[in-house]
Amino acid sequence: MTTEIVRTKDLHKIYDQNGPKPYEALKGITFSVQQGEFVGIMGASGSGKTTLLNIMATLDQPTSGSVEIDGKDVTNLTANQMSDFRSEKLGFIFQDFNLLETLTAQENIALPLSLQNKKPGETKQAVEAATKKLGIDDLLSKYPTQLSGGQKQRVAAARALVANPSIIFGDEPTGALDSTNARELLDTLTNINQQGVSILLVTHDPFSASFCKRILFIKDGKIGDEIDADGKSRNEFYQQILEKLGTFEQ
Amino acid sequence: MLFKISLSGVKSRWKDYLVLFSGMMITTAIFYMFEAISTNDKFTTSSPVGQNAKFVFIFGSILLAIITLVYVFYANNFLMSMRKHDYGLFMMLGAKSKVISKLIILETLVIGLASTFVGIILGVGFTKGLSGLLSSQIHVSLTNFSAFYMPAVWATLILFLVLFVIAGLVNARTFTKTSALNLLRSNQESDWKDPKKRTLFVQAVGGLVLLAIGYYAMYDINHLQLLAIGIGLITIVLGTYFVFNSFFVMILEAVQRSNTSYKGLNNFTISQLKFRIRDYTKILSVVSLLFALALGAITVGIGFQRMVPMMAAGNNAYAVGLTNPSPKMKSLVGDIDGKAQVTYQQKVDPGSKSVYYRASQFEAQPFKYAHFTNQAQLKSKIDNASLTQLKDRASTAYAGLNNLQAPLTRNLRIRLVSDTTFNRINAKANTLLLVRVNDMDAAATTLSKITNLQTRQYGKKVSEGLGVGGAYETYQLLKGVFGSLEFMGIFLGIAFLAMLASCLMFKILSGAASDKARFEMLNKIGARKSVLNRSIAVQILGLFILPAVLGIIDVAFGLQMFIKANLLHGAYQTFGWSVLGFSILYLIYYGITVMIYSKIVVPKTKVEK
Repeated sequence: MTTEIVRTKDLHKIYDQNGPKPYEALKGITFSVQQGEFVGIMGASGSGKTTLLNIMATLDQPTSGSVEIDGKDVTNLTANQMSDFRSEKLGFIFQDFNLLETLTAQENIALPLSLQNKKPGETKQAVEAATKKLGIDDLLSKYPTQLSGGQKQRVAAARALVANPSIIFGDEPTGALDSTNARELLDTLTNINQQGVSILLVTHDPFSASFCKRILFIKDGKIGDEIDADGKSRNEFYQQILEKLGTFEQ
Repeated sequence: MLFKISLSGVKSRWKDYLVLFSGMMITTAIFYMFEAISTNDKFTTSSPVGQNAKFVFIFGSILLAIITLVYVFYANNFLMSMRKHDYGLFMMLGAKSKVISKLIILETLVIGLASTFVGIILGVGFTKGLSGLLSSQIHVSLTNFSAFYMPAVWATLILFLVLFVIAGLVNARTFTKTSALNLLRSNQESDWKDPKKRTLFVQAVGGLVLLAIGYYAMYDINHLQLLAIGIGLITIVLGTYFVFNSFFVMILEAVQRSNTSYKGLNNFTISQLKFRIRDYTKILSVVSLLFALALGAITVGIGFQRMVPMMAAGNNAYAVGLTNPSPKMKSLVGDIDGKAQVTYQQKVDPGSKSVYYRASQFEAQPFKYAHFTNQAQLKSKIDNASLTQLKDRASTAYAGLNNLQAPLTRNLRIRLVSDTTFNRINAKANTLLLVRVNDMDAAATTLSKITNLQTRQYGKKVSEGLGVGGAYETYQLLKGVFGSLEFMGIFLGIAFLAMLASCLMFKILSGAASDKARFEMLNKIGARKSVLNRSIAVQILGLFILPAVLGIIDVAFGLQMFIKANLLHGAYQTFGWSVLGFSILYLIYYGITVMIYSKIVVPKTKVEK
């Protein structure tokens, strides 16, 4: 039996609610992500996908509606509780890697565990496990400036993975990579996903999206459509996404 | 049009500009404050230190101008770090680099001139306040000194105008040489490379050895003479540089290797500090050396002043000698917390060129005289004078008594005679009241009133050129000399400190913009706001405290130079207090820096409950 890892219910977000020009970025979004799913969220700029991601990632609060992650309602936490929740339950991969240049790859990967004040021995073990999964054991002592873009992003992926999060959020993770490195990262994410980690990818790139198992299309703050890979090959799914985008954007 | 856009850019970041503006204002004020003394020839030459002070001030002016240059440069960097994105955008939109240059120069000049004008006004206020405070605290009368002094205004105005024109030109050049794209992506990554272990070790050891040589040279000044200062200057400057570049980095690396670095953001904090220290080696070295100079100026200044009572005490056992004191003088003497008073009778006979005393009185109440047991260390002792000593013109006791008599009788011979002889002398009998005090500093105000009355009683003609005598006269004289030295020391010290702390502050703040992304990421991966704030506080503390510690050690050893050369005594007592006062001022700067830095880099959570 599969369990829901993310569940949003009638999410609304209105910016500048009491101001002269209130703007409704999300207009009632309801969806869920099952344990072990690889879900993509696609949409044009201004469609509300970043707002949605920020709310799910506890970086922002909805005006109304609720978000449950791993069975916990995250919309009513205090700032500190949210920070702790992020470090324990969520993993992040950003477009521009966001590695700290003054720390080695290993130290970068260990950061989320340090924030949880895990014992050094435990941290070392977890870092080893995560890097083995991603095949980057040989990069551990290097500084980010000594790494290629693809390597950096894999280190970032290891950092997202190291604390055994309930779900990994990817915000255009291939945005700053060339096609070879992008492909490698997406393969890596697929690999991680096959090992049971849930992933939610926000992207506007159909190629990246084609690695997902299910895609939600957002337009003007609402979920406009949804497609499922449903046993299709990645190529077929890619074609389907392109078709969908063609009609959806109009 | 662009000017309008530029103005709106300033408006939107007015809080950051306010910091910059107030920083510049204070710098101007400090420089003015200093110039108000140094350009005032009448004041410097009329003060007892005379021409020597002039040299100190020229030296100080140059140093201060150099720090100001560094300061303006850093403050401008901070300004430009805020404007990079906007200017990049203008260039992207097609603004010609000439127009951008004009805009940058204009912006720099407008901010610069405005802060200079306000700063000078503030400076006049500061000067008035500080000089008033100091003169009342250290009992120095500042003649010919006025807070508003036109040449100082000119000096400040011209220097800052030149500095801002240079800064504007440099800014414009850097901007127009950078591509629009790079300006837009100004949050560039730093190119941190882990320093090589062996180089680090060699430099660290080399730095410590150089410092040790410098410290030893200052300690051994008696032997090395002027060479000590030369050796000290070179080795300490180089040593300081290497210690920052390597020794501190090595220590941080050791901490990083320990298990504590796995806790919270410790590893991030230490590595950031390590990176900053290497990145800021030059400025940190300069700050450390200036810190030492400023602290040294204050310590030595106050140190001299503290020696005054010791020097006075070895000069005469009695604070004042009063001939035929009036009832008012007597009542004032009664107010003093005195050790003892003694009265002798005297008769002055100009015919025989003698001053006669009753020997019996000196037997009953022995005259006390002070003499140095160790002149170099200013250690003195007070003894009872025997009659033989008092009859010997060459003795210290004789000179002591002679000095306490009325000025016109000092060239006459002192003779101790029997009561019968004394009674036979046909002259008016005077009383000579001698007063000893416990604490010269405490009794100073009353003693001053008494000596004024005594001077008036002696008459103008008599007192001209010759003082009323006694230890208090020496005290007053030295206080005039050393008091102005102390005044200058404190003034110089505070001016230096304020300037160097501002420099450090803006250097750190100008790096804040590029740190923003790092803190945003840390926030996203779950670092609590309190953890981020703590990390900032520790990082900046490191940058503030390391140069201060090194500066304090420099002074601790540097004082040996004054002690060994017998210029200063009890210096370490003064040193302790100076360090304390200094640290408080310095900590205020630290607090402000942390506050502004946090405001810039710590992301505002949209969910703050």
